[in-house]
Amino acid sequence: MNADFGGASAAPSLSTSNAHVAIAADKLNRTVPLGDRQLTILDDVSLTVNDGETLAIVGASGSGKTTLLGLLAGLDRPNTGSVSWHGEVINTLSEDALAKKRQGTVGFVFQSFQLLPALNALENVMLPLELANNDDAESRAKEWLTRMGLGERIDHLPRQLSGGEQQRVAIARAFAASPSIVFADEPTGNLDTDTGNEIIDLMFQLNRDQKTTLILVTHDLELAARCNRHIRLARGKVIA
Amino acid sequence: MNLTLIFRFVKRELRTSEARILVLALALAVASVGAVGMFADRVKGAFANQANVLLGADALISGDRELPASLPEEAARYGLKTTQSIRFGSMVAARSNGANAGEAALSDVKAISAPYPLRGSIEIRGEPTSAEPRGKRMPIAADQSTPKPGEVFVDERLASRLNVKVGDTIDLGKLSPRIAQVFVEEPEVAGNFLSAAPKVLINANDLAASELLGPGSRASYRLQVAGARAEEFAQVIKPKLAPGQRLETVRELRPEVKNTLERSEQFLGLAASFAVFLAVVAIVLALRRYLKREIDTATIFRTLGAGRTQTLIHFIGQFALLSLIACVLGVIGAYLAQAGLAYVVRGLFASELPPAGVAPLWRAFLTGVVLLLGFALPPLVALASTPPVRALRRDMQMPGGGGVIATVLGIAAVLGVVLMQAQDLKTGFIFVGGIVALVGAASLGAAAMLWGVRRVTKARTKSAWQMGLANLDRRRLSTSIQVACLGLGVMTLITVGFVRTDLFSAWQKSLPVDAPNRFLINIQKEQVEPLTSLLKERGQDATFYPMVRGRLVAVNDKSVSGKDYVDERAKRLVDREWNMSSADAPPKGNVILSGNYFGADAKDEVSLEDGIATTLGVKLGDKLTYDIAGDKVTVTITSLRKVDWDSFRVNFFALVPKTNVDALPKSYITAFHLPTNDLKTLPAIVNAAPNVLAIDVSEVMERVRSIVEQVASALEFVFLFTLAAGLLTLYTAVVSTQDERRYDTAIVRTLGGTRTQVRNALVAEFSLLGVAAGALGVLGAVILTWALATRILKIEFVASPLVWVIGLVAATVLTLVAGWLGTRSVLSTPPIRVLREG
Repeated sequence: MNADFGGASAAPSLSTSNAHVAIAADKLNRTVPLGDRQLTILDDVSLTVNDGETLAIVGASGSGKTTLLGLLAGLDRPNTGSVSWHGEVINTLSEDALAKKRQGTVGFVFQSFQLLPALNALENVMLPLELANNDDAESRAKEWLTRMGLGERIDHLPRQLSGGEQQRVAIARAFAASPSIVFADEPTGNLDTDTGNEIIDLMFQLNRDQKTTLILVTHDLELAARCNRHIRLARGKVIA
Repeated sequence: MNLTLIFRFVKRELRTSEARILVLALALAVASVGAVGMFADRVKGAFANQANVLLGADALISGDRELPASLPEEAARYGLKTTQSIRFGSMVAARSNGANAGEAALSDVKAISAPYPLRGSIEIRGEPTSAEPRGKRMPIAADQSTPKPGEVFVDERLASRLNVKVGDTIDLGKLSPRIAQVFVEEPEVAGNFLSAAPKVLINANDLAASELLGPGSRASYRLQVAGARAEEFAQVIKPKLAPGQRLETVRELRPEVKNTLERSEQFLGLAASFAVFLAVVAIVLALRRYLKREIDTATIFRTLGAGRTQTLIHFIGQFALLSLIACVLGVIGAYLAQAGLAYVVRGLFASELPPAGVAPLWRAFLTGVVLLLGFALPPLVALASTPPVRALRRDMQMPGGGGVIATVLGIAAVLGVVLMQAQDLKTGFIFVGGIVALVGAASLGAAAMLWGVRRVTKARTKSAWQMGLANLDRRRLSTSIQVACLGLGVMTLITVGFVRTDLFSAWQKSLPVDAPNRFLINIQKEQVEPLTSLLKERGQDATFYPMVRGRLVAVNDKSVSGKDYVDERAKRLVDREWNMSSADAPPKGNVILSGNYFGADAKDEVSLEDGIATTLGVKLGDKLTYDIAGDKVTVTITSLRKVDWDSFRVNFFALVPKTNVDALPKSYITAFHLPTNDLKTLPAIVNAAPNVLAIDVSEVMERVRSIVEQVASALEFVFLFTLAAGLLTLYTAVVSTQDERRYDTAIVRTLGGTRTQVRNALVAEFSLLGVAAGALGVLGAVILTWALATRILKIEFVASPLVWVIGLVAATVLTLVAGWLGTRSVLSTPPIRVLREG
């Protein structure tokens, strides 16, 4: 595990054995059209994250951190550059192959929870398992919700749960499919400080237990400090 | 496809108002199509049954020779009731030993056997009363409606001519049967009534003994059939008929009944089209709101590793299940509703409504599936392509479209359903054209309104109502859609209301109570003047038309006969004699469609009825040669006319100049209205002109009038569906922007807006929406009703400003009330809750 806070390097450390590298990004560029010109959101970003590592991406609003998270998570594609998971380049995969790859490889925790309002807690957690045609979706989802302290509330709809509870359901959903990498986008952004801390403790605990790689985007420097390392973005570039 | 997942989603989503409104709108569309279809089928069946009373059966096969036994056998295989008769002309005389000995008349004799008649009944008169001075008409019991051997039934015209009554005997061939009944009318009044002579019914078993029919005698051998599958039988048997045999249904025989039936069907079909169309608008609106919610689901699916294909399959499955539920509900609703309708109107129909077939239900079911998938497919394809990164950026623009093919499919589905419902292409296209024009007008209208709004709300400090109006401008797309949908709803409701009342009364007016109900034929030239003054004394301004009879023998100097034509009607037109007349100007109710009507001094020209010209395949400038009493007369077609057959006036297929008619042997014909209680005019006519035949068409008119009245009642009920669909459309249109409005309002309140400010803003917004939609709807309704009246139903268009004003006010008030009900909860909900829900 790399404990060096300044460990994000401008050049990827692909020389390290790929077996230990969970994610590698190489010269990622992302632009969006703005009128008749292109606006650069990410400019030549490269980084590697090793298995089991926790990485915080910090930066001001508009610095490109969420875009970077989207690219690393395979939710979006770079204009140039590549992203690989466990040594396999993902941004050249077809849409459906990439989706398949996400199943069981990555989990997500969002700032706005992103639970489906019509489904209850149990069904929300079961969803990724069912999409992957997992036979024991229900028992695994129940197990995870119990582990999150929501065993009594499995049939509650999201609107019947508090913000902290909803985020715990989202965490259960992220970890239930046994992903090797978990991405979190401002996971405490919609929560008060106490609940936020509780959620972060839980995520770090699960990360250790499940031996997952955790990559999170945050404004919160205190939270960033709890990660093995962090990178700081400004105007689309890694500055620290 | 993960069925469990689909089932779970559908089950869960049915808890949400978006899904419920969608299912309700679709179920209503299906129920409207199904119920109206079934009900209309049953009502049409009942109308047809009633109209068939005019034929005494559902179909009639006649031949100039004895019909083969295979025909009744075939009919029996279709489960039809049959009866056979032989009809021929014969002199009938009062018994030579009576006081009125020697009186004789040419009669239309029909030898019948039980059961007779298959439809309707023979009517006799009861004792005269003060209310019914001629005696109330009543049916003879079915078991007594065939004369026994040795007995005859004669009609009252013959009884009056021969001066005979029940119990007297008459001479009929070698027989002297006793008169058992004097009847007013027997069912079979259809046919060319100008050739109708007084009727005599005898028992078929007496025919041989009467020796009236010998070898070579002219007679019509007839098979009448009735039953549920008569139409089917008729279709099968028609091509198999031998030369000299023909099939008659009431539609072919009586143009006025045919027109009435077709117009009734059009009315019902139109009402159903409106209901479906409104439900379609509701579906589109509900779908828009529902799909907006589904974007989040699609995003999560994609993020959690579902590919585009997997997502698309899931959504298609989900929609298929939703539409299945809605369709099943709709079909159940349709069945119950039509049964309810039939129960409510049970007293209105003379005969019981025939049972409903299941075909309309299947049609309704398919309509539902086609509609939802047609509309949902394009957005579903787009939905499945939701980029997963939207989970991180909710404000991302959604990919639009969904593929050209999918869009075309959606439009085709809607057009298909509307056209199918409208029953004929022209009506369908007027309908669809109206919709397209309205949507265009709505966009322009909304743009103009928003331009005005921007000018009004430019001031820096805004009052509450200016804020409300500014809200409309901010949601330009939503506002345009809302104005268009509300406008369509208003347009449809006003149009249906108009069709139901104004168009309908115009139709009824086209059949005035004083329409001619008696025709006088066989009038000689010297009798025209005394009869004219006789009728004038009684307030009847009757026109007398000369009538010559001639057979068409050549077209463009080429001889023709029935064998030259494939079309049955064309064959008949060539085989039989035409009644031709002359008039200096086109008779009332005749409209010249092409060419010029001949002048007073023209010669050898003819003005033809448009339909007959089409049947014969002739056009302007063609030459027709007629054989009139041995003389060949060649005339050139110089105009084509549309004839108003509903009018019950004297109408002719062919009109020739006076100069042609003057030289030919002719009689005269006229029509006049005889009030029911007038007992003196007919005897006076008979006295003045004993040879003149008076034909009573009041029965046919009564049937037509009763059909018109029943259509009115049926329409009232069908209108309920349209009303329900209309209200649902208005509601969905209003709530379609409810979420945005709730959110905006919560923000305004958070920023310190008072409840009064928020309320005033909402009232201003909804009032302007209502006024815009109302104005658009009224404008659309005026154009659409004008098109329907003049182009489809061929009825005079009557402007009714009161309906327009009511429509405008009602639209505004309804929009305001529905909008208020939909959003008022936001005033009592803490803004934080609304904001948190997003």
